[in-house]
Amino acid sequence: MQYLVFRLYGPMASWGEAAVGGDRPSGLTPSRSAVLGLLGAALGIKRDDVSRLDALRAEVGIAVKAYSCGSLMRDYHTAQVPSQDRKRTFYSRKDELSVEKEKLNTVLSSRDYRSDGYWVVAVWLWQESEFTLDMLEAALKKPAFTPYLGRKACPLAVPVTPRLVAFELKEALDTSFPPILFSHEQDRRWLGLGNTVTYLWQGTADDLGEYEGVQSCQVWDEPISREPWQFSARQVHQLTLVEE
Amino acid sequence: MSKFIQLHLLTSYAPSNLNRDDLGRPKTARMGGTERLRVSSQSLKRHWRTSDVFEQALGKHIGTRTKRLGVEVFNQLCELGISEKQAKTWAVAIAGVFGKGKKDGLEIEQLAHISPEELAAVDTLVKTLAAENRAPEQAELDLLRRNASAADIAMFGRMLASSPEFNCEAACQVAHAISVHGVAVEEDYFTAVDDLNRGDSDLGAAHIGEAAFSAALFYSYICIDKELLVSNLDGDVELANKAITALVEAAVKVSPKGKQNSFASRAYASYVLAEKGDQQPRSLSVAFLKPIIGENQAEDAVQALQRQVENFDKVYGACADDRYSVNALEGEGSFEQLKAFAAD
Repeated sequence: MQYLVFRLYGPMASWGEAAVGGDRPSGLTPSRSAVLGLLGAALGIKRDDVSRLDALRAEVGIAVKAYSCGSLMRDYHTAQVPSQDRKRTFYSRKDELSVEKEKLNTVLSSRDYRSDGYWVVAVWLWQESEFTLDMLEAALKKPAFTPYLGRKACPLAVPVTPRLVAFELKEALDTSFPPILFSHEQDRRWLGLGNTVTYLWQGTADDLGEYEGVQSCQVWDEPISREPWQFSARQVHQLTLVEE
Repeated sequence: MSKFIQLHLLTSYAPSNLNRDDLGRPKTARMGGTERLRVSSQSLKRHWRTSDVFEQALGKHIGTRTKRLGVEVFNQLCELGISEKQAKTWAVAIAGVFGKGKKDGLEIEQLAHISPEELAAVDTLVKTLAAENRAPEQAELDLLRRNASAADIAMFGRMLASSPEFNCEAACQVAHAISVHGVAVEEDYFTAVDDLNRGDSDLGAAHIGEAAFSAALFYSYICIDKELLVSNLDGDVELANKAITALVEAAVKVSPKGKQNSFASRAYASYVLAEKGDQQPRSLSVAFLKPIIGENQAEDAVQALQRQVENFDKVYGACADDRYSVNALEGEGSFEQLKAFAAD
């Protein structure tokens, strides 16, 4: 099987989970919707281009290897917004903030980030499609829209280094990348990498190989529709291993 | 035209509290296992987009400050043969776009700052109305302010659940600014005395409090998708370039305002590197994963940043086509040239 593997690192990342009201939690690893969004952005698919987004979703399979899920950072966030006024259109932020003081409201939200997380992603195609892995690789190298780690304020802090490999799934996810710092030792030290890694994949539980202790669960991160914002469940298998 | 313009800035702040959390303490983050000071991207963007730099650079400095727009429009319409009654109604409607009109008059209550683009749009609209002998439609009035002032929305985007037709995908990515070194947030215990307390019965302070603060050298990162910016501005490359110049100027010179009166926290960036190219954008924060420790903090930080650029290029191939930097520690490079480079 052919895989496209690449890696994701940034000082801050946020993998959106079910968000109610002002709480914007983050998952531990890139969600399927986040990876699809990243690939879609690289390809230049606009948010309202439903048919191409659907095609991407239908054709692409995703697995993740987490070297580190980073540490949790909760950001206290306030924003000022004017009361809704159907008769008025605000053309700039300055416009919005210049309404009478009584009409300016402060909204609070709490936003979660993962600091210094480091993940490798493997992508494959389930069927012949309008997309090829070569296309995705080229798009990641020269993306059409700015890629980010779940939230726009979370830029990539290393080249994602996409490459095509023909392996089994586990070997693909174990692909070695150049160190982020000067050596893999330094990466361990400064990213706080332990010796356990976690694999998450979709498909069947034994796709990674013959292992005991594989856990399977449902995750609600399969994007169905942006308007309204809907996700469906998918099955994810998970295994944590100790690495030398 | 290069697709991506990336800016890397190093800015040093003396003890201050630029951006606060729910306890009023400076915001922090962990990077490389050590606590760092942080300024959120939202805070940075708010101060840039409401700054005088933005207001002026986006064409308004040669705008017209006037209360008399309605009078001008009225006169012009009359000259073009529109009846006084109609001319007055239409002139009031047009002037009303820029400010609240005076009762029974053509003048606006306050001086309105009208940009050249807006004045030109008014002129075109007046001629159209006179030629077609009809009142302005609501949509035509809406357009008067759009070109001049939408540059901040084109750059930083907006999301309105209630009226998605005004949504706009931000063309600029702004990272949270993070200190290049570890910090310990300090507490200032303070007292205030009562000037009228003569100490007859009680000599204590009238108020005691605590304020948290910290000093830091911040690394900030901005990535502008120029293609998207131009498309957000309906293909107006000139306005896009003006917006980029304004952004560079604001990012270098405008500070977050948290507790500014207590700490006088204003600073210009000490070092700025601008990069242009189509390659995958990447921030250079890994240069500071290992915190900068030592007496030559600023020089060391600049060196670490430059070495990171070289090392990324060495390992992954050129990550940008063209670069320009200014270094205020060494007095190298010119800010004017930096702006010209970014917005060429």
